[in-house]
Amino acid sequence: MSEFMRDGNLYSLDLSIDEAHILINLVEQLLELLGEGDFNHHYDESDPFAQLMSQLKAAPDEITVPDDPVLLRLLPNAYADPEAAADFRRYTEPTLRGQKQRTLKQVRAALEIIVDEDRAGLVEDLDSEIWLMAINDLRLALSVRLEVNPDSFEIFEALSDDDPQKAIYAVYFWLGWLQTSLLNLLTGG
Amino acid sequence: MATDTMIESDLDISQLVDKPWVTIVWDDPVNLMSYVTYVFIKLFGFTPEKANALMMQVHNEGRAAVSTGSREEMECDVQRLHEHGLWATLQRDDKI
Repeated sequence: MSEFMRDGNLYSLDLSIDEAHILINLVEQLLELLGEGDFNHHYDESDPFAQLMSQLKAAPDEITVPDDPVLLRLLPNAYADPEAAADFRRYTEPTLRGQKQRTLKQVRAALEIIVDEDRAGLVEDLDSEIWLMAINDLRLALSVRLEVNPDSFEIFEALSDDDPQKAIYAVYFWLGWLQTSLLNLLTGG
Repeated sequence: MATDTMIESDLDISQLVDKPWVTIVWDDPVNLMSYVTYVFIKLFGFTPEKANALMMQVHNEGRAAVSTGSREEMECDVQRLHEHGLWATLQRDDKI
């Protein structure tokens, strides 16, 4: 499996073509869920991950608490009080949404080069903070769909290999492993 | 003058004082412990020891107060925590 590498202050990630495909598919789906669909996506409907984020809808005109649980996890309420939460969301959610879109788009741009050349490749001189946040948002999104809890690793191990959930769990745990490899470099561990 | 003093003594002073607000980070089963510690250091400039202690408090007790200040400051902190995917809310500090 690929992991992040560091040379001085330069970070890179050597990806297999399969890993790059999985990553760009997830990034594109999450971008679309966040209301940013202005690109030609790389996944097709037969892709096992194509329906992961699903429920693609146009962003509502009025900013309200999201119905979709993934969006609610990525754009959570800032107050326990519903009225205060709604007020705060009205003023701040576009900023938060935009920040997450920009982060994912930056990662997508790097992955697109590899995927379009259709061969394994090195993402060089990547922005470690951007990748850290993007991978975290992908993990959060998948965790909502998988309903991750402290027992999830045991659940994953008990699944048979032909269970479609197994591959999604595998990607979720792989992303955690990838994030750990970057955190270890960032903290000198 | 005497009347003013009488009125004042009837008031609940705590309602006049602008109580500080706190930012609370809540536990979740997804964010990696090392990531939460990293974000605390990055956003608040904590020492690794303090960041780790707060992360452990979130993990063990389900929540921890990570910053205190005006409402506007706490709204800013919550927004930055949300940018990093941590589950955070703000509320009045009820310990006073």
